[in-house]
Amino acid sequence: MKPNKNKGRIVLPSARRRYINNYWQLYAMMLVPLLYFLLFKYVPMFGNILAFRRYKPLTGPFGVSWVGFRYFNMFLKDEGFIRAFKNTLTLSSMNLIINFPIPIIFALLLNEVHNLKFKKLIQTFSYMPRFISTVVVISILTELLSPSSGVLNRLLQDTFGLQPIYYMNEPDYFRSLYIITDMWQYTGWSAIVYLAAITGINAELFEAARIDGANRRQQILYVTIPTIMPTVMVMFILKVGHLLSLGFEKVLLMYTPANSTVSDIIDTYVYRMGFQSSANQYSYATAIGLFSGIIGLILVSGANYLSRRLTGESVY
Amino acid sequence: MNSKRVYRIKDRSPIFTVIVYTVMFFVLLVCTLPFLYIIAMSFSSSDAILKGKVSLFPVDFSVEAYRQIFAYPHFFRAYKNTILYTVCGTAISLVLMVLFAYPLSKTRLKGQKFVMKLVVFSMFFSGGMIPNYLLISSLGLTGTVFAMILPFAINQFNLIILVNFFKSIPEELEEAARIDGLNYFGILIQILLPLSTAALATIGLYTAVFFWNDWFYGLIYLNSELFPVMLLLRNIVNGTTMVGEAGGVGDKASVAIAVKSAVILTSTLPIILLYPFLQKYFVKGMLVGAVKG
Repeated sequence: MKPNKNKGRIVLPSARRRYINNYWQLYAMMLVPLLYFLLFKYVPMFGNILAFRRYKPLTGPFGVSWVGFRYFNMFLKDEGFIRAFKNTLTLSSMNLIINFPIPIIFALLLNEVHNLKFKKLIQTFSYMPRFISTVVVISILTELLSPSSGVLNRLLQDTFGLQPIYYMNEPDYFRSLYIITDMWQYTGWSAIVYLAAITGINAELFEAARIDGANRRQQILYVTIPTIMPTVMVMFILKVGHLLSLGFEKVLLMYTPANSTVSDIIDTYVYRMGFQSSANQYSYATAIGLFSGIIGLILVSGANYLSRRLTGESVY
Repeated sequence: MNSKRVYRIKDRSPIFTVIVYTVMFFVLLVCTLPFLYIIAMSFSSSDAILKGKVSLFPVDFSVEAYRQIFAYPHFFRAYKNTILYTVCGTAISLVLMVLFAYPLSKTRLKGQKFVMKLVVFSMFFSGGMIPNYLLISSLGLTGTVFAMILPFAINQFNLIILVNFFKSIPEELEEAARIDGLNYFGILIQILLPLSTAALATIGLYTAVFFWNDWFYGLIYLNSELFPVMLLLRNIVNGTTMVGEAGGVGDKASVAIAVKSAVILTSTLPIILLYPFLQKYFVKGMLVGAVKG
C-alpha cells in the first residue's frame, strides 16, 4: 500500500492487522499455559521414542542410539510381560462385568427412595469413598483383614472356628479384593450419570404407564431402563475402551511378592522394570508402556467410533 | 399434579419399598462401618485391641495413639508437606487453567480448534511412566517440591469443564464490557471470574483432592523429608516406617494398630470433614464433565 494513494481517505487496517489488534491479548494470555502444557504432556509423549533407543544415564531423556524394535522383540518373549498382560485383561474384564451393572442397579433403586432426606443422606455417604485416597482405602482394608487383629478373621474364628487367613497376601483373594474395593469406592459416584439420566425422563411416560396399570417394578423394566439405555451403552463402550487402564496405584499398594502371580499387571511390571530392577531398564520399560498405550489408544478410538455409529453419541 | 394422587394407590407396593430401603440401609452401613472401625481402633487401649475386643466402639477409651503420632516429628513434617503441595498446587493450577481456558472458549480464535485437539488427544495417549520420570529428572526437579506441583498443574478433564463453562456465559456481557473499553484481561478478571466462582470451586476442589491424596509421585520423585502424608501412611502400613515405640512385639504391636488407625484417620480427616459441605460442587463438576466437550 503506498501512502500517497490514501491521502485524504480513512486508512482501514488490513484484516490481518485488525485480527491481531483484536485478539493478541488472548494469545498472550494462553502463551504460558500452552508452553507449559506442551512441556509436561507432549515432551514425554515424544519421549516414547526411548522405546526404540538405548538409554544411557545422564544423557537426557531421549536415549543415545537407535536399536529399532529390539526391546519389543524382547518383551514379546518375556514371560513376565505375558503374565502381566494376561493378568491385566483378566482383572479388568472381571472388574467390568461385575462393577459395570452395579451402579445402574444402585441408581434405579435410589430413584425409588421417595424420602428426600434419606435419599440425600445415601448420596452423601455413597459418593464420599470416591474422594478418599487409595492409600487410605487399602490401609483400612489391610486392618480389617489383618490375620492377627482384623475384625473379619476374628469373626470367622469366633463363629466358625476357622484359622486366620492372611487375605492381603493370598493370590486367591487378590482379584476379589480389588473388585470389592472398586465397588466400595466408585458405585455411588458412577451412579450419578445414571441418576441424572433417570431424572431427565419425561414424567408423562410414567404417567402413561401408570394409567395402563403398570406397577413400580414394571415401570422400571419398561420405561426407565429402555429410556436410559443410550447412556448405559455410551458408558459401557467407554469402559471397554479403558480396558487396559486399571487402578495402577491400587494394584501397586496391594502388590506383594506372594500374590504377584495374579497382581502383576502391565503398569506394575513397567514400574518394576523401570524403577526396581537393578539396571533401571528405562528403554525396556518405555517400550512396554508405549505398547500398552497404543493398544489403549486403539481401544478408546474404536469404542468412540462404535458409540457414534450405534447411538449417535460420541464422547470425544 | 392431581393425577399423581389418583394413581398413587396403585404405586404402593410394600415388598418393593422394603427391598429398596433394606438395600439402601445396607449401602449406608457398608460406607460408614469401615470408618467407625478405624475410629474405634484409634481410640482404644492397646490391651483391648490385643484381646480382640474392639469392633465398632472404642474399648477402654485412650488417646495414647494420637499422643504418639503427635510426638512423632515425621508425621507433622509430612502433614505440612501435603498442605504445602495442596495449597500451592491448587493455586498454580487454577491460575494456569483459567488463563488457558478463557482463550480456548473463543471458538472464533484461530488455532483454538487445533489446541483443543491437542488437549483431548493428550487425554488418551501420553508419555508413559518412564518418559515422564526422565523429563522431570532432566529438568532437575526430582527431590524438589516442584516435582510434586508443576507436572500436574494442567488437568485436561478440568480444563475442558472450565472451557465449557466459559462458553456458556453470554457473549453480550463481554461485548458490553468491550464497548466500555475493557480489554480481555479486564473482562476475564472483572466480569468472568466473579461469575465463575462455582466452576472454579468445582475444579479447585478436584485439584485439591488430587494433591492431597497423591503418594505415588512422592515415591518416585522425592526423598523422605519431602514425603507427603499419604506416602508416610503407606510406609507405616506396609512396615517400611515405624512410628515411635511401635513395631515391637506383644503390647507394642497392638499400639502399632492403634497408631496406624490414628494416622489413617488424621490423614484423611480434612476430606471427610469438608466433603459434605462441598458435595454439590463435586457432583456439578461430574455432570458438566459428562456432557460432551
